[in-house]
Amino acid sequence: METLTSPLAGLRARGIALGGAITVYLLLGGGAVFLLVGCLQSTRFAQLTVSGLAVGAAYGSLALALVLIYRATHVINFAQGELAMATTYIAYQLIQWGLSYWEAFAATLAIAFVLGTALELVVIRPVQHRSVIAAVIVSVGLFILIDGVVNWIWGGGIRFMQSPFSGSYDLGGVNIQHLYAGMLGVVLGCVLLVWALFRFTKLGLGMRAAALRPAAAALAGVRVDWMLALGWGLAAVLGAVAGMMYEPSQLLLTPTFMQEALVYAFAAAVLGGLESPGGAVVGGLAIGVFLNLLAGYLPQVVSLEVPFAFAVLLAILLVKPSGLFGRREVSRV
Amino acid sequence: MRGRLPALGSIAAVAVLIAVLPFTLSSYNVSLVAQVGIFFVAVLGLNILTGYSGQISIGHGAFMAIGGYTSAVMSRDHHTNLIVTMLMAFAICFVLGLLVGLPALRLSGAYLALATFALAISVPQLPLQWSTFLGGTGGVQSHTTVSDRWIYGAAWSCSAILFLLAWLILRGRVGRAFRAVRDSEIAATASGIELSLYKTLAFGISAAYAGVAGVLFVMATNGFAQPTEFGIILSLQILIGAAVAGLGSLWGILAGAAFVGLLPQVSTSVPVIGSDHGRDVVFGLMVVLVMLALPDGFAGLLARLRALVRA
Amino acid sequence: MAVNRKKLGALLCALAVGIAVASTAAASHSGTPGVTKKQIVIGGTFPYTGGASLYKTIPTAEQAYFAYVNAKGGVNGRTIKDITKDDAYNPAQTVPAVQQLVEQDHVFAIVGSLGTAPGLATWGYLNQNKVPQVLLATGDAYWGNCVHHACDGSTKPWTTGWQPDYPGEAKLYAKYILKTKPSAKIGVLYQNDAYGKNYLTGLKTGLGSNKGQIVDAEPYNFGDSAQVVGAHVGALEAHGADTVVIFATPTASIQALATLAILHWSPLTILNNVSANRLFMLAAAQNGASLNGVVSTTYIQSQTATPSTKGMKLAKKIIDSVGSASLSQDFAAGDNNLVYGLAVGYTFVDALKHAGQNPTRASFMKALRNLDETKNPFIYPGMSVQTSKKRTFPMEQLILEKWAGGGTGDWGTFGKIASGLK
Repeated sequence: METLTSPLAGLRARGIALGGAITVYLLLGGGAVFLLVGCLQSTRFAQLTVSGLAVGAAYGSLALALVLIYRATHVINFAQGELAMATTYIAYQLIQWGLSYWEAFAATLAIAFVLGTALELVVIRPVQHRSVIAAVIVSVGLFILIDGVVNWIWGGGIRFMQSPFSGSYDLGGVNIQHLYAGMLGVVLGCVLLVWALFRFTKLGLGMRAAALRPAAAALAGVRVDWMLALGWGLAAVLGAVAGMMYEPSQLLLTPTFMQEALVYAFAAAVLGGLESPGGAVVGGLAIGVFLNLLAGYLPQVVSLEVPFAFAVLLAILLVKPSGLFGRREVSRV
Repeated sequence: MRGRLPALGSIAAVAVLIAVLPFTLSSYNVSLVAQVGIFFVAVLGLNILTGYSGQISIGHGAFMAIGGYTSAVMSRDHHTNLIVTMLMAFAICFVLGLLVGLPALRLSGAYLALATFALAISVPQLPLQWSTFLGGTGGVQSHTTVSDRWIYGAAWSCSAILFLLAWLILRGRVGRAFRAVRDSEIAATASGIELSLYKTLAFGISAAYAGVAGVLFVMATNGFAQPTEFGIILSLQILIGAAVAGLGSLWGILAGAAFVGLLPQVSTSVPVIGSDHGRDVVFGLMVVLVMLALPDGFAGLLARLRALVRA
Repeated sequence: MAVNRKKLGALLCALAVGIAVASTAAASHSGTPGVTKKQIVIGGTFPYTGGASLYKTIPTAEQAYFAYVNAKGGVNGRTIKDITKDDAYNPAQTVPAVQQLVEQDHVFAIVGSLGTAPGLATWGYLNQNKVPQVLLATGDAYWGNCVHHACDGSTKPWTTGWQPDYPGEAKLYAKYILKTKPSAKIGVLYQNDAYGKNYLTGLKTGLGSNKGQIVDAEPYNFGDSAQVVGAHVGALEAHGADTVVIFATPTASIQALATLAILHWSPLTILNNVSANRLFMLAAAQNGASLNGVVSTTYIQSQTATPSTKGMKLAKKIIDSVGSASLSQDFAAGDNNLVYGLAVGYTFVDALKHAGQNPTRASFMKALRNLDETKNPFIYPGMSVQTSKKRTFPMEQLILEKWAGGGTGDWGTFGKIASGLK
């Protein structure tokens, strides 16, 4: 059981900042040094690391969306990846209609926000207090539904979307794609904006309060249900960012392109801790780099990537169920 | 499925219906109803886990895969009788279920959901790595293939036997322990129930059921076991079936099995949307609507109806 | 009402026996299914959705060809009706779809269905029920009636493929490498399944005593992300390869070609036929791939390289008559799968014509096993579709082709027509 002197002090402590023990930071520091030394030793290693970080950022953004929703409503949203995929198709359509890439990007974020909020209001709210299983199944239903709708409107075939970045530059002998640098920049920028929103605005405080101490927040005059719906909207925005940034790295747009990303986002979220937003982003980056290096240097275990990633994950769950950065979850009796 | 069985009448009605159906239906429809029987076994198994011990699993497709591959490989390499492979799948999945159940003791709620999800994603990858033994993406072809009616008979015979078995387990001491664990772990421990034993046991039993369903599932694809058949969607279907079923009602489980076994096939020809995508749109929408409208699944609906009749 | 345990047990046992008895009842049929005086009904399964949906223009082209034949009076006074179903490339969906086609729609034959695993999941059922499963859209050696070990000596008399087999195609690449670059250090990227391994085996056989020149073979899994595919390509470079052979499906091959550009690496590149659709090459170019000099093979005509042949004019007419703007656009951009579909449609109609005035499934299979088609207007000029006791792959000739012209370029064939089986 957790004891708190004042709800607000507790909130500050459990804000968006990283939690976690010294050993975890040492582990991370060790990993970073390993990557740095590797990059200086070998250009191939460097290239694998950079592209791994870029897609890892996309996994991290999607994982952050999952974590925001989990913190707010204790729902594991299986539809998060498909929602990101659907919003990427919307961006594609807007570009087809003549908008420039970044106009479409901005418009899509707005649409995603409305979509996410609406979903919470219409289908999640009635089931969120019922049970973990009910909410999981509704999100699974949404997964299938969104998939069907996208297939219905745009067809199941491959589409080609304009890439926002092209070309490359040279950094100490390592050829770095603008695309990867751009992905990292855009995703991490958006994550920082969301962090600032939560940390420094009154709305953010309200959302955190509604998620973590709903009863106390309601007493303090926070409209808890609106805050939860807005949380879903924000998560959808983060998902849309992940989708639109992940798509150019895959070169093709198909209705299934976010499914693998969702699997890795789940892994990232558990790795970092389902309750830890910062952990989700770090977890995403770690998994992106790890998978890339694995594929590059140990191709003979190519089919074991997924089982291996999940074996590590299960081990972490068993040793430290709250993830690398999470605190022990308060059990709800 | 509780100590008191649903009225003899309803069992007899189901039995007669199922025994008569193959004489009246076309061969294709027989295979559809057989599919429902296969899902009945799997949903029944998951129902024991979620309904009676309060644990969630999104990974039962993995146990179906293990059962299915066991059968296909034994049939391919040793021409083993299919009924025998069913018993083997039951035993292997029971043991593996116990093994998965042990770490699952430390997890609950969302964490258990994600851990079992990982299982469902990972297991179908294994045949790709050990492709000489497990056939890779090319799959494993059983030596023996059977007709639709054979599968129909096997699926519903298994359903009947396993339903009886579940009833026998749940009506006694084990069932009482399961329910106590679900309702309150603290109270159950206080009254001397070995928590970890019963939670692990529930996992084992329900995995064994899924294993048998997996054998039937592979038979229904002409004895062909292949990784994509056991994708994550299969695990989700079982979970949806169990949720639609609700708790502890024969009719509920039938409804849940029919929901996941029939609806996607029936809704392939929807007007306006068109065949290929209509399936997903209708199925997804129905899942959401049913969950919103029937909080306790079909079993809950029945209970409410009964209460209405009595009032 | 509590139930006596014994009673219940007895009841359920009786039920099990009842079902078992019911199960032995068998259905009977008379006449040739799917064939009436005015019509012949056939069916097929295709991935309209999911990861392999790139191939979904194939059934569209087949249906377009049948519509064209129907407009000219059909075959022996019968029009052809082709019912296609989506299986999303998933065998678990193929099985009920094929059962539905056979038992509810009473199709005469399953024609052109796509994919190795879906085909394997249904060939037992179809052969048991003596339903032709023909002209499958997969080049795995399975369909060559036991040239592959996989059928374990039990022939599948009701099953045939159409396109050249993959190992044979790979042997041609081996010959080409040995001839043009005898000291090549070969790196192979292959799909980690029967399909990719079929190719890899063929390449090794073709190289013979020189197979030691393969310095690295990297397997990737269908559905891997672009980064993983890219990492494998990087590994080929790291192993010192100067020749890259890609045995992949379109998505991964596009990603591999784009990765070569990212690495600023330009080895001699060979791409298997299945991925060499011009539409996908252009997509790779859009993502920065420099395609000049890439080598592949073909066996059908190109509507972009030789648009004015009789066959390609006819193809354009048939595809345009479907009336879909996007389909016509794909055709104009060089979607070769459309021509493939037309060519398969032609072979089906040809076999049906030779199956007699009142075709049966048996007479149709006999016609298919004795094809002699030199006038198929859609296949590469000079090639033929032939079958006999000795030759079980209807199409087995190929010709090499090379890409020129970069991002707006096209394939150009060179050398002589060759057979991979020799």
